[in-house]
This record gives sequence, structure tokens and C-alpha cells, in this order.
Amino acid sequence: MAEKFDSLEEHLEKFVENIRQLGIIVSDFQPSSQTGLNQKLNFMVTGLQDIDKCRQQLHDISVPLEVFEYIDQGRNPQLYTKECLERALAKNEQVKGKIDTMKKFKSLLIQELTKVFPEDMAKYKTIRGEDPPP
Amino acid sequence: MENFSALFGAAEPPPAAAAALGFGPAKAPGAGAAPPPTASAAAPPPGEDAARKAAAGPFYLLRELPGTTELTGSTNLITHYNLEHAYNKFCGKKVKEKLSNFLPDLPGMIDLPGSHDSSSLRSLIEKPPICGSSFTPLTGAMLTGFRLHAGPLPEQCRLMHIQPPKKKNKHKHKQSRTQDPVPPETPSDSDHKKKKKKKEEDPERKRKKKEKKKKKVSGKAGVRCPAHGPPRGSVSGHSQGAAGQQLSQALSVLPPQNRHSPEHPGVGSSQASSSLR
Repeated sequence: MAEKFDSLEEHLEKFVENIRQLGIIVSDFQPSSQTGLNQKLNFMVTGLQDIDKCRQQLHDISVPLEVFEYIDQGRNPQLYTKECLERALAKNEQVKGKIDTMKKFKSLLIQELTKVFPEDMAKYKTIRGEDPPP
Repeated sequence: MENFSALFGAAEPPPAAAAALGFGPAKAPGAGAAPPPTASAAAPPPGEDAARKAAAGPFYLLRELPGTTELTGSTNLITHYNLEHAYNKFCGKKVKEKLSNFLPDLPGMIDLPGSHDSSSLRSLIEKPPICGSSFTPLTGAMLTGFRLHAGPLPEQCRLMHIQPPKKKNKHKHKQSRTQDPVPPETPSDSDHKKKKKKKEEDPERKRKKKEKKKKKVSGKAGVRCPAHGPPRGSVSGHSQGAAGQQLSQALSVLPPQNRHSPEHPGVGSSQASSSLR
């Protein structure tokens, strides 16, 4: 998995570096640097071809759209991962609390029903078996 | 909620779907008192449903409990999926807000919102650029379109060179603060300056002192000092003898510093006396 990303990362870094050099040439252009500029332009095309080839290896990767919003706002995309993990943990704790409460409720209900309907609850317990305490 | 609605609406017959899920046949509330159907007595419906119904006894709407192996929210899902490392990495320490902290080597101002210069990824997805499916290298004729004028770009176009300001390392500040509560160089510098000032001021002060002393001496020459007796200049006037004349001559020969000073009254007189001898 990591190898796929490594090759893409490498191609992207090369492409960005090429664009940076292109920007330097263009920012103070001299007639003698026309050949260098043409070379950089063709490097850019080959760089795009290389990045396009990586697409075949990454067709099974899905990226959440919310990450793009973070990047578009100039924010660190790791913040999205962080918030996802925090939300997952909070929801996990919330559900666990609900499950624990329901288990307590069940045991109390069985306890009280046993007082009122002892025979029925005895049958129920034979069907269900002894529930573990919550 | 479906389970709860099924429980509270027990008087009505449950839908076929509910029965298929394992719910027993709908009965009146008093049906619990009826003899429990046994496996032999009940009509043998095919499959597991019949066995369930037989096992349910007097109870209806009885479902099988979820298996203990089923993954629920009661377990810590972060540890279950081995995400503790990721959690500690992202939630343990503060993640820096800006995009430039995530991609420090990317040139240009990447912290600005993409909507400003219409460079957002969202717009790339929503409105993909109209282009061909393949990338072909530029031919010589095509490259003639990229002939540029010589000279620097105007400043408003130099976006590539603008980098977000990087904050200085805080540790360095802390170290300098902790290690050098009082910078050792400053007092020496100030001492140097003071010394220089002193050196510069010294000749002026000396001159001023000299002038003051001269003035004092000249002033005292004609003014009588009650503490030290009659003024020296007036000695010749008071004692008009030969000894008095010699004394006045000797005093005039002596330099003004060696003359009588209020600070060292005995010095000038002793020297004068020695010269007299």
C-alpha cells in the first residue's frame, strides 16, 4: 500500500520542484534561457504523464470530500483526521454508556418482574439462561 | 426504535417481516396463560422459526440475544482497530493549524483560502477542466508560443516567491531567557562606555578644576579669610619689612597648586616654609 503512495509522492515532488524552477526562470527571463524554459515545459508534460500513470494503482483509494474543504481553507488536513478520531471516540463512549444503561435496566426489570411474576420469569430464565450481570 | 414500537404495539399483529426476523405470532395479552406450545403439539413449520417458536414457550416477541462476538460500541473501537498510535499522534499533541505546516516545502502562499484565486480542489471536482484524456509532449512549433519577453516579472505576479512567515523556534528563546537572565555582555559594554566617557570627561574636568582653583586663588588673594588669618597677598602690605617681601616673592614663584588650599592647609605652608629656608 505504502509503495503506491511513495511513487505518487515522488512524482508529485518532482513535478512541484520542476514548476518551482520554471517559476524562477520566468520571474526574471533572459533570452538565453529560452531553451531551458522549453525543456522545463516538456518536463512538466512528462511529469503529468507520470502522475496520470499512478492513477491506475490508486483506483481503490477513496478520499473523503471533507479533506478537500480543509485544504481549500488553507488548514492542515491532519486536523480532519484528528477530529474524526475524537468524534469516533466520543460516539463510542456515548454508545457504551447507552449499552451499559440498558443492561442495568434489563437486570433491574428482570429482578422486579421476578417478584411479581415468579413462575413466568422462571420459564423465561430457563429459555434464556442466566444472564451475566451488567 | 422499530423494536420498541413493536413491543408497545403488541396488541396488533406484527408484520410479516417482523415474524420473519424471529418474532413470535401475535397473541392477545392474556395468551401467556395458555399452555405453552411444545415442539410436538405445534404445527411443524419448516426451518428455524418453528424451533424458535417452540423454544419461546409462553413468550412472544422473543428474539435471540445478540452474540457476544458481535462488535458493538461497548468495546473500545480505537484499540480494536489498532488505532492507538494514530490517536496518540494526532490527539496527544497539538496539530498545527496551517497547511504550510503540513507541506513545508511547497512554494507559494498555500495558507490562503483557495476561493481567493479560484485554485480550490472543490472547484476542480465540481467543474473539471476541459482537456484531452492524454498528455502529449510539446512540439517545436508549439513551444514558439512560450517565447517570453526579457526582464523581471511585475511584483503582483511574483506569487511563487512569497513564502508564509515562519515562526522562530521557541526553545531558543526559552534557553536564552533561562541561561542569560542578566546578559553578561551588557554590563561590560556599559562599563566600557562609562570608562570611555570618564576618559573623555577627564581632561575637561581637569581643566575646569584648574580654572576653578585659579579663580579661588585669585579671589582669595584679596579677601581676608577669618579662619587662616590674613590673606597672603596682603602680607607685604601689613608687614612692610624685608622678611615680608621675601615671603611674597617666594609665594609668587610657587605654582598655584602648591599654594595654600583649604583641603590641605599645612602643605602649602610647609613648602613655602621650606623654600624660605
